Amino acid sequence: MNTTPSIDELLEGLIFALSDEILPYLNNEKSQATAVMMQSVIQEIRQLLPVFDAYVAKEHNEMTKVLRDVASLVGDIGSDASLRISERGATLGAVADVPVPENNDVNSAHRALGFALQDTLRDLDELQRKGFTVADDALDTVRSYLYPTFVRYASTVSIEGGMVGRG
Amino acid sequence: MEKAISELLRKTLGNNYDIAIEGLSPIPGGFSRETFSCTALVTQGNTKEVLPLIIRKDPPEEVCILQTSRANEHELIESLRANTSVPVSRSYGYELDPSVFGSAAMVLERADGNGKTSQLFNGGPDADQAEEVMRHLCEVLVELHQADISVIDPRGILQDPREVGIRTSSWDEYMDSTFEYYLSTYDDIVYDPSSIILLDAYLTLRRKRPRPLRLSVVHGDFNPANFLYKNGKVSALIDWENSRIGDPREDLGWMTTMDILSNTHVMDYPKKEGGFISYYNKLTGWNVTKEEVDYFTLFGSANIGVPVQSAIYRRIAGEHREFMHLYLIQSSAPAIPSMAQLLGYPGSIPNETTGVSS
Repeated sequence: MNTTPSIDELLEGLIFALSDEILPYLNNEKSQATAVMMQSVIQEIRQLLPVFDAYVAKEHNEMTKVLRDVASLVGDIGSDASLRISERGATLGAVADVPVPENNDVNSAHRALGFALQDTLRDLDELQRKGFTVADDALDTVRSYLYPTFVRYASTVSIEGGMVGRG
Repeated sequence: MEKAISELLRKTLGNNYDIAIEGLSPIPGGFSRETFSCTALVTQGNTKEVLPLIIRKDPPEEVCILQTSRANEHELIESLRANTSVPVSRSYGYELDPSVFGSAAMVLERADGNGKTSQLFNGGPDADQAEEVMRHLCEVLVELHQADISVIDPRGILQDPREVGIRTSSWDEYMDSTFEYYLSTYDDIVYDPSSIILLDAYLTLRRKRPRPLRLSVVHGDFNPANFLYKNGKVSALIDWENSRIGDPREDLGWMTTMDILSNTHVMDYPKKEGGFISYYNKLTGWNVTKEEVDYFTLFGSANIGVPVQSAIYRRIAGEHREFMHLYLIQSSAPAIPSMAQLLGYPGSIPNETTGVSS
């Protein structure tokens, strides 16, 4: 996967493009307002993305605990309402906690490893040009890792329709 | 800009013309230049003429995809008009002084014909013209490739137009110096290590060269968006800014790449001749093989990859904030697995005729 530009940088690029390349050419207030709303929502996505999975997981685990805690407080009353609360505590409240993703800086480590593979390619080229045929096999080892990652990346980011703006 | 266009036309046509410019508006004209369309109403005495025009203007340097010269482009176009039957739009002139148009610019005749070449394919409205248009396109390319370099480029402006040290005294010199250029610039343009496929291509292509072929004037951006057609013929081959002296198979390879990215089928035509390469070989006798086209598909991608990667790098480094450069990352993504296949990556679709493996 490309780690540069990041998803955040792509979204920032959309906000800039709306300001620089779209808004100056919109000639009615409704369109202008929509463009500014789009910028606002894109900014919302930028703020959500880094925390969304962690917050949802954390809230999931907190809600199950709330259902259990409430059931333990009122579940013994014996009314229909308390029975329903008790049942929720025993079912949904008993759902196991999900792991909360940590905000590790995997991107930097991923980037460093990618550059290490580039340096390895240059060194293998030197060995190949000196006649070490085993370097051909080593190159295939690198390429065997790279190919499925290229395919996955391309299929993840590609949109059909050719190249916009080129006839 | 209207005044600048009028004055440039007057320099070419003569001072005794009255010139009015109408309908000036920007148009999508590719990724590398700012392109405008307009009409000039030219009057001399009782004679009136309408000139449909295209203005190609340099974007700001930091945004520029290709750093090329409008003066060189003008000189080449006029040389092709004078010395070949390759259909090109007349260039009325150029202005390098940025105070006139805001940046270097040139004014060209707006050629007659349809530039939406995707309409020739996939059941489009002009699919019935595809056979004859592609036949003519191949003939036009052959004429360009067989043209005498010393006639087309007497001043040598196409030998090293990027001024990066390319040497064209022989095929081997050309290839050696081109790989020196690719590899020496790579570290300065790599914004993400996923660009490793380009590095692999540079190194592998340098190790595995095909047979030499005579150097030619190459178009340099021969792709489905760079010609217009009308009545079953190519009415203009356009966008000559990346033209240079090179291996003629580069144009075939680049068209192969862009055919895939553009979802067009230029290389499948003319079908009655067995496809574009088959007809090209029939006309030239050069017997270009599938393996050689594969090689130059990668070589051409590498050639255009350098300036494109460089422009994206400048965008990510914050030198400008134009959006197109981010879009280029997405739109070029399908080319990456294709390049890997041509390089013979393990796990890629088996291709017995591929000749560019490790």
